[in-house]
Amino acid sequence: MTTMAEKNRMSPRRRAVNVLVHLLLAVLALIWVLPIFWIILTSFRAEPGAYTNTFLPQGYTLNNYVKLLTDRNVLNFPKMFKNTLIIAVCCCICSTFFVLSVSYSLSRMRFRFRKPYMNIAMILGLFPGFMAMIAQYFILKAMGLTEGSLIRIGLIIVYSACTGLGFQIAKGFFDTIPRSIDEAAVMDGATQWQVFTRITMPLSKPIVIYTVMTSFIAPWVDFIFAKVLCRANADQFTVAIGLWNMLQKEYIYQWYTCFAAGAVLISIPIAALFLYMQRFYVEGMSGAVKG
Amino acid sequence: MGNKQISARNALRYGDLYTRLSAVVMGAGLIGHKQIVKGLLVLLFQAAFVFYMINTGIHSLSMMPSLGTQEQGKVWNEAKQIFEYTTGDNSQQILLAGVVALFVIAAIIVLWILQMRHSYKIQLIKEQGGHVPTLKEDLRSLLDQNLHMTLMTLPCLGILIFNIVPLVYMISMAFTTYSKEDNHLMLFDWDGLHQFQRVLNMNGNIGRQFWHVLAWTIVWAIFATFLNYILGMILAMIINRKDTKGKGFWRFCFVLSIAVPQFVTLMIMNIMLQPSGAINVLLQNLGLISSPLPFWQNAMWARITIIVINLWVGIPYTMLQVTGILQNIPNELYEAAKMDGAGPVRIFFKITLPYMLFVTTPYLISSFVGNINNFNVIYLLSGGGPTYVGDTAGQTDLLVTWLYKLTVDQQYYNLGAVIGIMTFIILTIVTLVTYRNSTSYKNEEAFM
Amino acid sequence: MIHLNGIVVKFGDFTALHDINVHVKEGEFFTFLGPSGCGKTTTLRTITGFIEPAEGTVVVKDRDITHVPIENRNIGIVFQSYALFPTMTVYDNIAFGLKIKKLNKAEIDTKVRDIARKVDLSDEQLVKAVSELSGGQQQRVAIARALVTEPAIICMDEPLSNLDAKLRVQLRNELKKMQKDFGITTIYVTHDQEEALTLSDRIAVFNRGYIEQIGTPNEVYNFSKTEFVCNFIGDINRLGDEFVAYINENGAQVDPSMHNYIRLERLHVNVTPENGQIAVPGIVETREYYGLYIKYYIRAAGQEIKVIEKNDGIRIYEEGQNVTVIIDPRDIMAYPAGGREVQA
Repeated sequence: MTTMAEKNRMSPRRRAVNVLVHLLLAVLALIWVLPIFWIILTSFRAEPGAYTNTFLPQGYTLNNYVKLLTDRNVLNFPKMFKNTLIIAVCCCICSTFFVLSVSYSLSRMRFRFRKPYMNIAMILGLFPGFMAMIAQYFILKAMGLTEGSLIRIGLIIVYSACTGLGFQIAKGFFDTIPRSIDEAAVMDGATQWQVFTRITMPLSKPIVIYTVMTSFIAPWVDFIFAKVLCRANADQFTVAIGLWNMLQKEYIYQWYTCFAAGAVLISIPIAALFLYMQRFYVEGMSGAVKG
Repeated sequence: MGNKQISARNALRYGDLYTRLSAVVMGAGLIGHKQIVKGLLVLLFQAAFVFYMINTGIHSLSMMPSLGTQEQGKVWNEAKQIFEYTTGDNSQQILLAGVVALFVIAAIIVLWILQMRHSYKIQLIKEQGGHVPTLKEDLRSLLDQNLHMTLMTLPCLGILIFNIVPLVYMISMAFTTYSKEDNHLMLFDWDGLHQFQRVLNMNGNIGRQFWHVLAWTIVWAIFATFLNYILGMILAMIINRKDTKGKGFWRFCFVLSIAVPQFVTLMIMNIMLQPSGAINVLLQNLGLISSPLPFWQNAMWARITIIVINLWVGIPYTMLQVTGILQNIPNELYEAAKMDGAGPVRIFFKITLPYMLFVTTPYLISSFVGNINNFNVIYLLSGGGPTYVGDTAGQTDLLVTWLYKLTVDQQYYNLGAVIGIMTFIILTIVTLVTYRNSTSYKNEEAFM
Repeated sequence: MIHLNGIVVKFGDFTALHDINVHVKEGEFFTFLGPSGCGKTTTLRTITGFIEPAEGTVVVKDRDITHVPIENRNIGIVFQSYALFPTMTVYDNIAFGLKIKKLNKAEIDTKVRDIARKVDLSDEQLVKAVSELSGGQQQRVAIARALVTEPAIICMDEPLSNLDAKLRVQLRNELKKMQKDFGITTIYVTHDQEEALTLSDRIAVFNRGYIEQIGTPNEVYNFSKTEFVCNFIGDINRLGDEFVAYINENGAQVDPSMHNYIRLERLHVNVTPENGQIAVPGIVETREYYGLYIKYYIRAAGQEIKVIEKNDGIRIYEEGQNVTVIIDPRDIMAYPAGGREVQA
């Protein structure tokens, strides 16, 4: 009885705190969602131009999307989409293989080069990423990968070549799988390769999916390497450069609303992937075998 | 394996004829000890190396000290009535070829040591009557005890060619005159530490900018890291409160903003905060301000805007990452504190924060490093601006964005390289000091 | 059957095993017992091949397997917490080794079902995921997986250490019964002396990389060869100088320069001493009531003496009560001072 009474006595203050907290959350959520909401509105805006005199659009239309997907003369968005898709798929395959291979080796195998590798990776991580970029461009140029459709291969190489340095999350995951499971398989005559493919991989679905998705997303959101590598080769542009260009002085008036439409279009799948992936990310952090 | 250590030196000292022969003819030791395919492969590498050195390597190396002398010439061709260009030396290509040649030589030295060791090892196995692995066994071991070689060769090659070589190449540029200044884009020369002096000299124009940018970079990194960390943690705690309704919904609202590609949201923010952008329009329409707020035009405004927008970008991310760790804090700790009569603020500073700092030190370090190198936020929001006339660095430029401008836009490659090296040095100091002391680094794994 | 001859294992500068010599007979249940870090698991891993010894040989059935690859040693192993493959069904767990050895499907099926029947796993359980099984069933799967390849030896590395006390006793009995049924040579690693005593045919007691004693449970318990063994196995009283002096005054001939020990159950309270037994007066300080027996802490001859008496319901002594402790000097185990340091 006393606890009931106490609860009742507590509740006005508590209720006030609760109302305040929810109010605060609502305001914050509005701040976070508003820009996204605004870009969606803009993608349906009828009047062109980046700057308008009103916060909300005056008229609504689907033309921005139509123009984005059909105009092939000025900024060929469908082509860019195709380019990016090809690059993303190839890059995804290479990077996933690289990341998982390196992480597994570092987590499970013991070899002389192991510690030095991890130290080197840490040191390389401290260099600003763009420092290597110009030099990478020169190297690709020396290899002849900076002209025509070879730019795609160049981009795939640039995106996936160094992914072996990003092993930390996957290695952390593999580290949580008990050693004795591997040993049990080895006792049964499995080679390390069989342990990797038949024991560890099935156990590591969350981290495999996480790796696949992050490496798939990378080419969609990078505009810097792509810009340096593509320069003026418009038919090699990726989506990110396309969107970037739409906001440059020469295009912004005509293309701003299309930019919004493009942003919405590529954000939907990436957001969906991310929201889906988030679960695996959390699982990946907490390990494969519980207990 | 006896008591003689297997090393290249011992291989030379105690090796048999075949082993010693492989000091000159690589792979001879392996072939002599019946590892024919492996031996031939090594020999092939040596042949390729010799071929490369004769064809280009020696020339590349010989050009390194001078970096080329022949200027591109223009010759008037009477017959065709045009200027004809004679090809001059391209220092940048010479430098690259030289760096590559140095790496090739390093690689062949490593291969030489490895094959010396290996043939000595096989020789010892043979002398002790052991079993020399056949080719088939060697190949099988690549899928078993030597799986790491199979798995890591390609990734390592990738890192070597597309990270280490470019970095060394770029670093070497710091010691040259490679720059648009004084027209050294085609032909440049070694310049010693001159560029470093320029950058570090506070009285010079470049030096003044450098110290300015450095100070802002550090201020930025501290604000961006710790504000995000603490506010993100508070947000996570508010959402995770027992009495908060609709936890999933709130979380979704915040996570949505990271799900949208960063460059899209940042570019939109940039547009929204322009003088005639949506925010100013909204505020003017509401009658709150009479003239547009100078979000990007005033240095102080720009800096604060960037930090605030970075909060918008970063808080949900922190929230996502710390939620799990927060839930791991033992409930007894809170109960004990409550028993002692501590209020929520006190509990946060006495219990939550110390616990989180203890667990997340590595995360904090990497996020600090990430912020010092945070290209996207600065480049897409302010573009480093506002920039004063005569400066290459804007008022909100970080070392990385300045590096980008110096190399990609201005083509001051040597200065860019110096800035990159300085960034690396600063980050190394920060990381070494903190990382080495963190517990999670020390206990990467216990013995065995 | 298994001969370990002069095994030395080194990890860098640290010598984990010094000259280990063991001979395990065919069909024997042989236990490596010792505190953690004593080298028992290292020895087991040397037999299975996860560790290669710096010196010495491992010989199984007259075949030197010291440098034979793990998978060719024909040894089965049951791991601590079983290490079942969590993504596979029970059936696939057991069949894994056979699949790796590329047996044909029908053969695999016969063997898996055969072994499953022997360890009491039903057909319904075979298709389940391992996480759906209870601890006891998981143990059976682990044993079936270890046995299905028909190994000559089965090794068990603390298989019961992660279970609660009651289940541990139950599974211990099940384990013993299964080992008897299969008649397979078993090497069992544990730090639990009770487990070792109940299960084993013979025990090797490890300490700091040495073997202190090899013998039957009775030998290691009643005739502990070293001070370490007598301390590690079971509870024991160390007799101090004053106590030794007292019983020597009363007719015993115990060498006071040795370390003298006596087991708790060899002492008695308030009985009439007979041929050679000596009564030492004391006072009950505390007692612990276990039901089956009662443990008394008695202060006698200047030290605390622990005594266990069967709970017969009649003679129960209260704290503070004056009693006599009856000791038979022939039950005293004496060890020279300055042996290997006592750890337990």
